[in-house]
Amino acid sequence: MDFAKIMPVLWESLPFILGGITWTLTLVFGAMLLGLCLGIPLAVGQVYGSKTVRRLAGIYVWLFRGVPILVQLYLFYFGILAYLSRFPLLSGLGLDSAFLAALVVLSLTSAAYQSQIFRGSIQSLPEGQLKAARALGMTDGQAIRSIVLPQALRLSIPGWSNEYSILLKDSALAFAIGVMEIMARTRTVAALTHEPLPFALVAGVLFYILTHLGVRALKTLERKVRIPGYARQGSMS
Amino acid sequence: MAKGSRFGVLGGLLAALVLCLTLSGPAWAEKTLVNGIDFGFPPFGFVDTQGNPAGFDVDSVNWIAEQMGFTVRHQPMDWDGIIPALNTNRIDFIASGMSITEERMKVVNFTIPYYEVTQVLVANETEATSFEEMFTTGKKIGVQRGTNTHTLLIDKAKEPGMDFEIVAYDSTDLSIQDLPIGRIHASAMDSSIAREMKKGRAFKTVGTFDVPADGYGYAVRKADTELLNTLNEGLKKLMADPYWVELKQKWELE
Repeated sequence: MDFAKIMPVLWESLPFILGGITWTLTLVFGAMLLGLCLGIPLAVGQVYGSKTVRRLAGIYVWLFRGVPILVQLYLFYFGILAYLSRFPLLSGLGLDSAFLAALVVLSLTSAAYQSQIFRGSIQSLPEGQLKAARALGMTDGQAIRSIVLPQALRLSIPGWSNEYSILLKDSALAFAIGVMEIMARTRTVAALTHEPLPFALVAGVLFYILTHLGVRALKTLERKVRIPGYARQGSMS
Repeated sequence: MAKGSRFGVLGGLLAALVLCLTLSGPAWAEKTLVNGIDFGFPPFGFVDTQGNPAGFDVDSVNWIAEQMGFTVRHQPMDWDGIIPALNTNRIDFIASGMSITEERMKVVNFTIPYYEVTQVLVANETEATSFEEMFTTGKKIGVQRGTNTHTLLIDKAKEPGMDFEIVAYDSTDLSIQDLPIGRIHASAMDSSIAREMKKGRAFKTVGTFDVPADGYGYAVRKADTELLNTLNEGLKKLMADPYWVELKQKWELE
């Protein structure tokens, strides 16, 4: 490997490569947040829903966990979004954006995984709590909102930080539809030198740092929201 | 009452927004044409260290756009998705070292060819196997997946007496990594890339495939005859202009 040739290119392109961090993190945090918003109702639906609701939520989870993200990206970007943007009313809405496609696919998939984390947490709560809530005159909805979810979400944080690191790495697949995140940028620069390896190393280091920092931040969050004396914290991680 | 009027205002705003979008959409699309370029295909199309699209094709298209009176934006794309992107209207044409092939002509239209390349086999400088023997002695030959060099190898493997294994990579760069350590015995590629690959490395061209040279052309959607004519006219003008020679020298082509 010719380091004398690679180092100047790496140095010159560093701002460009680091610029990819913004795209990667926007994708990851966006997908985590949207996945959370969709994952909670999915989980609640799977545990407390009627038979139909449970089945529908089950199909959703089965579908998005069963299809590889790369396949989903292709289907959504070149298929569904391309079809939608044919309609004149929708063509101006920026539906041709690869970033939007990547965000939607990652969010929908993450919702499926996150719902399973939440479902596990909800099911681990003692059933007596719901009965007690009913005895106090609460409706089921009130009980889920104010008793089940506050506990279940706290219990979900370790699983959730796992989801963060998985999403971070999945986001690298967005290069395939042209989103200029970290992976796409390092590949692009690698092509300039015809030396893919040093740049794969750069991408690896960047993803490692982001994973490490994110997981640590979530650990801190876990500590901050811990209920003193609530014994089951450690058991989930 | 209050609620009703708020909905009225909201509805009005929404209608105005939709109207703006539907009106501005096509009009704005007509002004700027989007050229899809491969992430990394120097010197034809690539993204430089600052993140800007660059290369021989980018310079050519910029010149043509100026002459023919349109504005152009160069959109970097992954090679695998570049034709789907064209046919789903993400980009308007592809000027990125794309070979004109019959296979591709089924789904897109090509301009006149502007550059000729042959298909060659690159190996370590120390490689003793001859070009002919490479295909009959069970050797492993690397190639970038989805390129027409790949198709060429697949067709060749079907000929009688052939005995070699095709190893497909995501990029020619990756196949080149495997040459010195002996995972493959040779790598097949365009002559234009081969020249780049051999720069400062202990590789040689073992031989040239006995197939007609490929022409690079710009690809447009089947329906866009007007754009095809514009690009053809622009290309002819460019190739007749002294700038053409200058461009080739700048990017060390020929």
